[in-house]
Amino acid sequence: MNELIERISICVERGKVNKTSPYPKDLAGQDGADELTRQALDSNLGPDSILQACNVGMMKIGERFGRNEVFVPELLMAAKAMNAVMAHLKPFFKAGTVKAKGKFLLGTVAGDLHDIGKNLVSMVVEGNGWQVIDLGVDVKPGKFIEKIKENPDCIVGLSALLTTTMASMSKTVKEIKEQFPNIKIIVGGAPLSHKAAEQMGADGYAPDPQGAVEFLNEFIAA
Amino acid sequence: MSLLLSQTEIEKNIFEVVINFSNLQIDKKEIESSLGYPEDMIPNHFSELIDEIISELPDKCKIKAGYCLAEINKQKEKKDGLTIADKFFNMDRLVTAQIKKSELAALFVCTIGNVMENWSRQLLTNGDPATAFLVDTVASITVESVTDLLHDFIGDEMKKRNLNITNRYSPGYCNWPVSEQQLLFSFFPQNFCGIILTDSSLMIPIKSVSGVIGIGANVKRKDYVCDQCGMKDCTYRAVRSRLKSI
Repeated sequence: MNELIERISICVERGKVNKTSPYPKDLAGQDGADELTRQALDSNLGPDSILQACNVGMMKIGERFGRNEVFVPELLMAAKAMNAVMAHLKPFFKAGTVKAKGKFLLGTVAGDLHDIGKNLVSMVVEGNGWQVIDLGVDVKPGKFIEKIKENPDCIVGLSALLTTTMASMSKTVKEIKEQFPNIKIIVGGAPLSHKAAEQMGADGYAPDPQGAVEFLNEFIAA
Repeated sequence: MSLLLSQTEIEKNIFEVVINFSNLQIDKKEIESSLGYPEDMIPNHFSELIDEIISELPDKCKIKAGYCLAEINKQKEKKDGLTIADKFFNMDRLVTAQIKKSELAALFVCTIGNVMENWSRQLLTNGDPATAFLVDTVASITVESVTDLLHDFIGDEMKKRNLNITNRYSPGYCNWPVSEQQLLFSFFPQNFCGIILTDSSLMIPIKSVSGVIGIGANVKRKDYVCDQCGMKDCTYRAVRSRLKSI
């Protein structure tokens, strides 16, 4: 692997955003994902190979997260570094030179105003190469359905924080599945579990942002 | 130990409690634990960020707290709920069983205001999700700390009347439907403590806590019965479990 590409991968895994970023301490003062990506593009390294390096970095931090070696803050720093890379790659996505893994339509269900969990999922999923369409909070089923019509190839993510908003989530899943039985839906949030997700007819459950990424990536593999 | 807090009865049996930030004890270990880190394993960078966030708390927390005392109607006792004053709370068996021996109920609310949640949101908008997440976590622990203090204060006030108190329970947890917030808030004047309810019964500011505490001669605070509740992924269950292991 090209040295620049390898360093980008390490920066993403370690959450090294740019040269001025103080995190992680052992990389202080060194170029980060931002500078290295610019250098890689200036050296005519392909955006595909940069994206691949990022995916390797995100996969490694995800695996460490799964082993409880790192926790959500480290995962979010990695996502931030990944987003620094993506800022450079945006023109290539627009031009169609590189493609997102897919579209992820995300929102907090009707009646629920909590957005921190949903926003963190959005950032990590985007950092993993997906196009995220974030519908915000308190999203009614009709809004999800309208957006699915515009993006029929998307995967839907629903977030809820409280037990009672699970009823709203269940209603949303039901209404989406009635109109779009083949659309895949993943649910997440504090009161949920695999069992609850299954009961409401969702296709998957993610206990954390990394769980959402793993679910989405399985669909690519499939 | 008597707490250095004061209260004002703004209407009959409705009290506003003055809690200053200096009254709070923010436990950094609890913050680290709720982030998932084993003891002393949090990276320095995040530990320092938490210190910075904690140092901002006195300016950013706008603490308000209060409670209402009401009688529990024993004649209308049911297994799955309690009648407080003339209003039936569908608390589910789990909460009802813990409070049913009480003669009075303290319905309480408290908040740290919306500055912390706005700060977290702004950090996220500016592309700093890790700090946003830390701010949100510190804010959650802080409002719980305010609730602990209010709980202890109500306990002290009741001790003066030779009464004891129970644990506290909140709509949205322990199978108690969050929609019962509407009933709970009906005991307070409008905009009490600056908290409003949405149609879906969520509190604004988000960093607010509401609930009920039982009061009586033959009740006591004891360990929470998380093992009897079906919410395996409950935030409180996870935090209590981690704290036990520290």
